[in-house]
Amino acid sequence: MPIEFQKEKYSDEQIFASMHPLLRDWFKETFGKFTEPQRYAILNIHSMQNTLITAPTGTGKTLAAFAAILNELITLSEIGRLEDKVYCIYISPLRALSNDIERNLNEPLQAIKEKAEKLGKKINIRVAVRTGDTPTSKRASMLKKPPHILITTPESIAILLNAPRFKEHLKEAKWLIVDEIHALAENKRGVHLSLSMERLQRLNPELCRIGLSATIAPIKEIAKFLVGLKNEKEFRDCKIVDVQFAKGLDIVVLSPIRDMINVTQEEIQERLYTKLDELIQQHKTTLVFTNTRSATERVVNHLKDRFPGRYEGIIGAHHSSVSREKRLSIEERLKKGKLKAVVCSTSLELGIDIGYIDLVVLLGSPKSISRALQRIGRSGHRLHDTIKGRILVLDRDDLVECTILTKCAKEKKLDRIHIPTNCLDVLAQHIYGIAIAERIHERELFQLVRRSYCYKDLPKKDFNEVLSYLAGEYSSLETRHVYGKIWYDRETGYIGRRGKFARVIYMTNIGTIPDEAKVKVKIGKETIGYLDEAFLERLRKGDVFTLGGEKYRFLYSRGMTIQVKPAEKIPPTIPNWVSEMLPLSFDLACEIQRFRKLLAEKFQLGKKKEEIIEFIQEYAYCNRFTAETIYNYFYQQHRYAKIPHDGLLLVEQIKDAEGNHVVFHTLYGRRVNDALSRALAWVMSKLTSADIMVSINDNGFILTSQRKMPVENALSILQKSEIEIVLKQALEDSEILKRRFRHCATRALMILRQYKGYEKSVAKQQRSSSLLINAVKRIDPDFCILREARREVMEDSMDLKNARKVIEWLREGKIKVEKIQLPFPSPFAFNIFAMGRSDLIRIDNRLNFIKRMHAKVLEKIGGKGE
Amino acid sequence: MNKNYVLPGIAIADLGLYLEKKQALIIADLHLGYEEMLNKQGVFIPRINFRDIKKRLRSMLEETKPARVIINGDLKHEFGEISRQEWREVLEMLDFIEKYAKEIVLIKGNHDTILGPLVKRKGLEILDELYITEYNALILHGHKLSRSKEFKKAKTLIIAHEHSAIGLREGQRVELYKCFLKGKYGRKKLIVMPSMNAVAIGSDVLREKLLSPFLQQELSDFECWLVEDKVYYFGKLEELYS
Repeated sequence: MPIEFQKEKYSDEQIFASMHPLLRDWFKETFGKFTEPQRYAILNIHSMQNTLITAPTGTGKTLAAFAAILNELITLSEIGRLEDKVYCIYISPLRALSNDIERNLNEPLQAIKEKAEKLGKKINIRVAVRTGDTPTSKRASMLKKPPHILITTPESIAILLNAPRFKEHLKEAKWLIVDEIHALAENKRGVHLSLSMERLQRLNPELCRIGLSATIAPIKEIAKFLVGLKNEKEFRDCKIVDVQFAKGLDIVVLSPIRDMINVTQEEIQERLYTKLDELIQQHKTTLVFTNTRSATERVVNHLKDRFPGRYEGIIGAHHSSVSREKRLSIEERLKKGKLKAVVCSTSLELGIDIGYIDLVVLLGSPKSISRALQRIGRSGHRLHDTIKGRILVLDRDDLVECTILTKCAKEKKLDRIHIPTNCLDVLAQHIYGIAIAERIHERELFQLVRRSYCYKDLPKKDFNEVLSYLAGEYSSLETRHVYGKIWYDRETGYIGRRGKFARVIYMTNIGTIPDEAKVKVKIGKETIGYLDEAFLERLRKGDVFTLGGEKYRFLYSRGMTIQVKPAEKIPPTIPNWVSEMLPLSFDLACEIQRFRKLLAEKFQLGKKKEEIIEFIQEYAYCNRFTAETIYNYFYQQHRYAKIPHDGLLLVEQIKDAEGNHVVFHTLYGRRVNDALSRALAWVMSKLTSADIMVSINDNGFILTSQRKMPVENALSILQKSEIEIVLKQALEDSEILKRRFRHCATRALMILRQYKGYEKSVAKQQRSSSLLINAVKRIDPDFCILREARREVMEDSMDLKNARKVIEWLREGKIKVEKIQLPFPSPFAFNIFAMGRSDLIRIDNRLNFIKRMHAKVLEKIGGKGE
Repeated sequence: MNKNYVLPGIAIADLGLYLEKKQALIIADLHLGYEEMLNKQGVFIPRINFRDIKKRLRSMLEETKPARVIINGDLKHEFGEISRQEWREVLEMLDFIEKYAKEIVLIKGNHDTILGPLVKRKGLEILDELYITEYNALILHGHKLSRSKEFKKAKTLIIAHEHSAIGLREGQRVELYKCFLKGKYGRKKLIVMPSMNAVAIGSDVLREKLLSPFLQQELSDFECWLVEDKVYYFGKLEELYS
């Protein structure tokens, strides 16, 4: 039974019977009965089985995990056999969550302690939080008297594994709880944790792992991620407790504007805020999600301005750029029910207890079914409540997208997450840590690494290259003392610590979250705000840009500070851009494609308007207004061009003053489109010896060129080639590769953030990394950390796997290509044209780039020079 | 070969300037040992500066065949201690240049404070500045102003120090290229050279606040030449601001 669903549900009597009387009484008095997740999970954990619990927030998940553990600790304590060591490690991705959990555990423990005292018994179970914020004095006392339950983060547990004295306390840890595992599994923090879990398991092979997850798919993969492998091939056993849809779901898409085309920006804003205000006023407490941080502030300001007095003091903005104190104060007031509304980006997506919320409003599409459920799940934070969400959409693509999203949510179809694998930068960091802690043979180390889900298929060659990098073998022999991070004896195969500062360097530089680069914007000595680092690079003297709704003229930069002056009457010369927009999930995209096909067929068969509208209403469980709007949108596309769908890739060609545009209606999400478009553009640029401009969004992409583009030829070449090889070349001089390389080099400790007492600013890291990438390319274009940056771009940032799948479908003829010439873009292409403008990518290398720019300048100055 | 002249008789030769009347090649800002400085800050960049400068310099020397090479400051990076390996690199570089040119002139840069004993051993001396009569030009590193007679007399100044570069911008993309600049300092003509450093390209004169006291004025009128595989004339800076 390696990985299987837990079918048996235990009765409350059975569970109570397994419990220590003190815990049983407390449970009965406090709750009376168990929740669904608890009925499935507690006895599993009681018998030390690995368990993954997936259920919405507020269904007693945490206690389901802790009940059996508390039970055992109470029993041990009562008979005086509770030792001074850590029994249970609880890991959560959020520091904020740690304090919540500590409070939630101390409550029953205090009650039980008091109960016991009345009976003349002594029960003393210690709980402690250990994160980056924990003061030194507390750490020291933890070392002397270790907590029985340790609450920590993925980063801190990695540090503790390398703390020689504290590690002793961890050696016999029996339980490991990973909370919000869905949020960890999809990024490198999770990859990092997966190796720490293996290191813990190595200390105590009997370790029982418990995972807590929100609504997510594929749940079996998350279970495998949680438990890892027990040998070369098989995963460890795991029981999955799946009570994902215990709550009722009330979710509706609303469009505040009737006519989504003939409408001014002011009208849109007016209707949007009127609707939003109406929703907030109808409910007690509303949580509003936006997709970006800047939008969060904007919404709060608009509400305050448009409805003077109504929101003063009872509305708050909550996002990661807001200061910690301010965030905590908002959370606190929210819990106490003192706020009418809170507007946030992603910061309140995860499970800190935020009290009673009766409505969640999503502004714009949440882009994935799981995210929608996760966000809406923040409402009705009590058992048996219905969760209630409203999605406000402002354009027709969003309307279609969210309507299908709602259908999938109601039908319990979830989109799948992507779990990164074989990340060589994280591996390097961990091996460095292991080498500090002990002398270990490379064979044993390789085995240990391959027990992690994320490295189960790691090629030996990659592993060897990481060892070679860590041993400093990319430098000359005489400088190896500078570059070598570990001691590595190739003769015997043993690795170990190198240098006396290794431990300090490790402790101060560990982690996988890249420092976010923020540029300080100043007028004289006064700081007025912050900008994205990537934005700074594009600024030129005299440029006018907007920040927090105000316009400024750029004067000059010095490091990571820029000087500006107000520029009230001048229009911005440079548009703002959102660096990382939420991408549409591939699975949801495919659902929309399927819907498009169904409608396309109906139009082709000449079905009547009424019939089609009824079909839409029935299919997507939506109201008549929504169905009619969708009908009109599709009808226009059908009449003017053709409806693209999962069996038909529509390619439309348009010529205008700017050049030739080719629109590819590939509705597969921008992660797939990013990969497809760059690869195709690269092929096209080679075919035409011309530059290709790329614009993308979730619904498709556009290639633009001065020359005529041989679409069929380029597509057929792409079908015959391995997309990875094409894409790799297309990415070589790209901004995204440079940016991701900085992150990878920092994780792999090629750039140390903290070194010899100095902290390196992001600016410095950034400058260092651009020097580093050039130098590394010159010594070895396939250097393992550079290769990891490419992998991260292609597999994590983009979606190479599904892009490959789309090409496969084209090759097999499952997708037909149809080319049409149009005088203007079709309705479905409007948004790709409009939104894509801010995201142009040129496919040419550094050398061709200067040549092209030179030709432009020569034209302007009249061919002088050279 | 199509020559790019910044002034009559002064041609751009890759990253250097060639003074035809003097048969002299000027290069600047090699910053040998730059990686060691980065190592000390916790950046483990592989050592390529020496190797790559040598390679590029060789083709410059073979192309121009100069009688003398003028190093316009900052041969060596770093102010503090110098390791044995770094000494070796400096010596090796000077030996290497001597194979091609019979005379080497060193001009003092802000980083060269401790080169004294070493260059003495090679029989060289370090000048603060060098006046070239044939051009009425003064060559100086450019980190500080000069009060000399020659300075007053000079019609043209040739400086380095700034590591001048230009970031060409299009949409989200910015690529940085080393560049020469030509403009005015008071009534004198001013030429700014890029660095020879192979690790770092330089600082973007379109964006950064400049360091040299010679470059505190408005630069829109300055002309620029970008250097990559060859030299590209890009006209006045004002064209590039927009």
